[in-house]
Amino acid sequence: MTGSIILALAGAGLVGLGLYGVIMRENALHRILAFNVLGGGIFIVFGFAARRGAGAGFAADPVPQALVITGIVVAFSATALATAIVVRLAAARDEEHADARSAKDEG
Amino acid sequence: MTQDHASFLADGSGHLLLAGLPPGPLLALVIILPLAGLVPLLLAGPRVGEWAAMTLAGLGLAVATIIALQVWWSGTPAIYHLGGWRPPLGIALRADGVSSVLLVMSAAVFCGIGLFATTGRDRKTSFPPTYWMLSLCVASGLNLAFLAQDLFTLYVALELLTFAAVPLVCLEGKAAQLEAALTYLLFALLGSLLYLLGAVLIYAETGTLDIGLAGQRLAADSAMTGIALALMSAGLAAKAALFPLYLWLPPAHAGAPPAASALLSSLVIKAPIFLLLRIWLGLAPADLAERAAPVLAILGTGAILFCGLRALGQTRLKLLIAYSTAAQLGYVFLMLPLVKSSGPLTIPEALAWTGGFLHIVSHAFAKAAMFMAAGVIAEALGHDRIRALGGAAQAAPLSVAAFAIGGLSLMGLPPSGGFVAKVMLLTAAIQQGVPWIAVVVLAGGLLAGGYVLRVVVCALQRPEASATFVQISLRRQAMALVLAVAAIVLGFIPLEPMGFLLVGRP
Amino acid sequence: MSRIRWGVPGATDAAAADVLLVASVAVPLIVAVALVSKGLRRHASWLLLLAPMPALLAALLVREGTALVVLSPPFRLSLALDEAGGLLLGGAAILWLAAGRFAIAFLRADPSCNRFLVWWLFTMAGSFAVFLVADLASFYLAYALVSFSAFGLVAHDDSAAARRAGSLYLSLTVLGEAFLIAAFVMLAAGTDQANPLIRDAVAAFPTSPWRGAILPLLLLGFTLKMGLFPLHIWMPLAHSVAPAPGSAALSGIVVKAGVIGLVRFLPEGLPVPGWGAALVAAGMVTAYYGVAIGLTQRHPKRALAYSTVSQMGVVGVVLGAGLETGDRAALLLAAFYALNHMLLKGSMFLAVGLASAGGRSGRRVGVAAMAMLGLGLAGLPLTGGAFAKYAIKVVPTSDAAVFLLTLSAAGTMALMLHVVLLLLRDEPKAGTSAGLVGPCVALSVIAMALPAILFQAVTGNLPSVVLSTGAFLGALWPIALGGALAALLVRLRDRIPEVPAGDLFALASRLAPAASRASDLAATVDRALGRWQVAGVAILGLVAVLSTVMIVR
Repeated sequence: MTGSIILALAGAGLVGLGLYGVIMRENALHRILAFNVLGGGIFIVFGFAARRGAGAGFAADPVPQALVITGIVVAFSATALATAIVVRLAAARDEEHADARSAKDEG
Repeated sequence: MTQDHASFLADGSGHLLLAGLPPGPLLALVIILPLAGLVPLLLAGPRVGEWAAMTLAGLGLAVATIIALQVWWSGTPAIYHLGGWRPPLGIALRADGVSSVLLVMSAAVFCGIGLFATTGRDRKTSFPPTYWMLSLCVASGLNLAFLAQDLFTLYVALELLTFAAVPLVCLEGKAAQLEAALTYLLFALLGSLLYLLGAVLIYAETGTLDIGLAGQRLAADSAMTGIALALMSAGLAAKAALFPLYLWLPPAHAGAPPAASALLSSLVIKAPIFLLLRIWLGLAPADLAERAAPVLAILGTGAILFCGLRALGQTRLKLLIAYSTAAQLGYVFLMLPLVKSSGPLTIPEALAWTGGFLHIVSHAFAKAAMFMAAGVIAEALGHDRIRALGGAAQAAPLSVAAFAIGGLSLMGLPPSGGFVAKVMLLTAAIQQGVPWIAVVVLAGGLLAGGYVLRVVVCALQRPEASATFVQISLRRQAMALVLAVAAIVLGFIPLEPMGFLLVGRP
Repeated sequence: MSRIRWGVPGATDAAAADVLLVASVAVPLIVAVALVSKGLRRHASWLLLLAPMPALLAALLVREGTALVVLSPPFRLSLALDEAGGLLLGGAAILWLAAGRFAIAFLRADPSCNRFLVWWLFTMAGSFAVFLVADLASFYLAYALVSFSAFGLVAHDDSAAARRAGSLYLSLTVLGEAFLIAAFVMLAAGTDQANPLIRDAVAAFPTSPWRGAILPLLLLGFTLKMGLFPLHIWMPLAHSVAPAPGSAALSGIVVKAGVIGLVRFLPEGLPVPGWGAALVAAGMVTAYYGVAIGLTQRHPKRALAYSTVSQMGVVGVVLGAGLETGDRAALLLAAFYALNHMLLKGSMFLAVGLASAGGRSGRRVGVAAMAMLGLGLAGLPLTGGAFAKYAIKVVPTSDAAVFLLTLSAAGTMALMLHVVLLLLRDEPKAGTSAGLVGPCVALSVIAMALPAILFQAVTGNLPSVVLSTGAFLGALWPIALGGALAALLVRLRDRIPEVPAGDLFALASRLAPAASRASDLAATVDRALGRWQVAGVAILGLVAVLSTVMIVR
């Protein structure tokens, strides 16, 4: 078993774990973390694809490396946006609860 | 200057002044142009920013129109290689007939929605600079998605779109909106990652991400190809809210402010749909496309029938329109079994192709008009309960007219773009001997008739004696009407089945 | 077949003819738009007179066979005046004219009168267009225009009943449009053009690979508009809520869009015995069914609506017999009978409106007019109705059908007397007959006379054949029988329960719980699909299904 195969299997394993987490977890933060696991798995698989591309004749295939970095940036932005919404949501819910309670007190 | 550019000029098929404009750089310009608006929005006050954004929207429409005219006159697609690097290493932008039509569509609808957004009741409800920044990003992302040629750039375009669209949903910061936005974002992310995984597998198979090159290299008999295409399609279907993956769409599209809903439901959703069509009508080997097409068409059928039925069952106007979006998008997938993925098309196939894309375009105009009209009606009445819409025709006559006219196109009644699209799909289905698709198209028309007319009938009722209305200016109502009438005018464009929309088809 | 001349054999030159045809459709539309302006609204009554004028002139002056292309392909819009279309166009113009005068007076106190008039004018434009257009797409457009605009005539009153009737009308209209567009697409697919002339499309019908599907779709779509059993359910509901002039237009003109549709689209010279017999049977059942249910009604307008159902059954029999034999002449005769019904039923609704809203004097005139028109519809000798009834008797292929058709006149007679008695039983309400009597009486007179005047031109027979002793007696016995039946029913009247309006629809409403259960089920499925885990599994399922269909051979 070569290193690249181990790498591919690890990537596939991460993809599976990530998918399971994304779909089955209820908590939004858990889901966001699972997305990062899933994304990580996909990037590793991409790395494996680069090795294969290199095997096909290129001395080395730089394209996937470059794209993985872009992908990581995209994943990071997604995580930031999702987390921001989670925080805002929690605040908005607290506020609405408080409003409802004060409305009840007045009523 | 690239070779394609040079050859475009050399064959002399461009016309007049436009021939002097290099087509390639325009493709890059149309993507970058909207982003230029971010600068004044960030630096200057909201009024200047708004003005700048609208100017850029107008410029964008002009550039998109020039691109479309050039493609039309030359009869060949416009191509631009960023930095002069050709695929597989470089990134290509390409405007064929369909892409350039979608560019013009999105620019035109974008202008309409923008003009609507400038007409807040007062400055208080007029939109904040955030709205303009996000919508400019949406415009840029859309153009990139319509022009990009490689799977990874398309991934970035889709993510850019999602990141701009999600905050549009929760612009007002209510808990329900934030919740809808979060579901939208997470589901879209799941979709993008599946798509990315598929794209990675395509790269592993072919060593390229360029759609054209990969399409030539993909082996139909490899299991990996099938899995890759399936992953990409499922991911895009999630982003396109294809039945049964539409859970995020109704709350997100119905919860957003009207100008944002219009943008999301008429334009943003079209990017993943367009990409799905690119995959099945350009990338996938013909043999595999033929076998997958019925599956996607069945999902489209599910969308048309089930989401149409649910639209009928809604009690709130905006939710009804949102479910109608989920239903209407199903029609696009009905075209897949009717068009083969490569080689020259026969007339019935070309009819299905033209009808499918015409449906996308007319739906964009009609749906933007309907969401804007629904927003105005809700402002006028103070609610959007369908049963209590009585008096809407007096309170906001132009808006009810816009809703009805847009609905006409949705129902596929003449004269409208929706009618022509429906007739083309019907003819193609009947001539190719696939009667069940014809039946679905007709049944979908019935359901659309049901939910559109239900609203119109309620809106035409006289108001209850106790009802009070907010006066809405005609200017605010007018934009929806203009877009709805545009959906009608689309029915009068002489579309040759073998014409412009087929330019540059692989 | 002789040429039908409405009157003045004018030597109109071609250009004037073309202008008249275009103006027939355009002027009502222009007037409708003009009514948006407050200033022009004050002249509504004159504008309403102006709107049907070009159509009337076109029917009188333009030579049959005139055709013109308003727009060339790809937006082909072509108009043509043929014999059947010309008959119905002229009749419709007269009815629109009289009913328009009537409507202005009838709705004088109604604050939303203007809204009604706009719908009125759009329906008018659609009705003229549907009798005139010659190409497939324009026909569909015209048909949709007349059908959807008529909604405003049905649902003018602001009541739950009007909303219900209007919604049912719209639902069935949308259904009918779906049948028709399917048929039209298949018809066009049989030719080499995107939008062929109706003539060319029908000519290509015998060789069309889809002819098995086209004919039933056409029959469903058009008989739905005509109100043949069991697709008649919208008619009684609509007529109970529509204002009297609206009913006149609806029953007189809008349903004739279905007739002209069948006249135009039934294959020429190609006998189709199976579907022909089916149409004859449906028509016959409708003719008697309409009378039977109509006799139980307590509301005069609803009873008249059932009479329209029954009469359209008669037209259906004629058209079906024509389809059975492939005889073109039957189609023209059906249009002739439809013209007779158009004017009579239009006048009847005006008479009923006059009787109910015209105060004491209006009631007197209205009841008298109604009685006279009823005798005409039943085919009393010397009335125009007798000529129309005589004309269609030659069409059915079997003696039994001819007998049943003749016998149905007895039912019509009974139903007409029933309506008169219903009117007499109502207490006269306060009101004024000003402006109502004139149009009603004028239209009634025209309705009673016109079929006799046109008889020779349409059938080629001398009018004297209708006055022969045999024909005279043949027309008289059903009337006598109908009178006797009506007398019998007067005694039983209070013991017969009233069949709810829209009979079958009322039955179908019992299915409402099932429909709402289905809707609940859909909502449940919707909620399930809205759960994150379900959607997540569904997305993986989609990956699995798609890869399976692609990989497994």
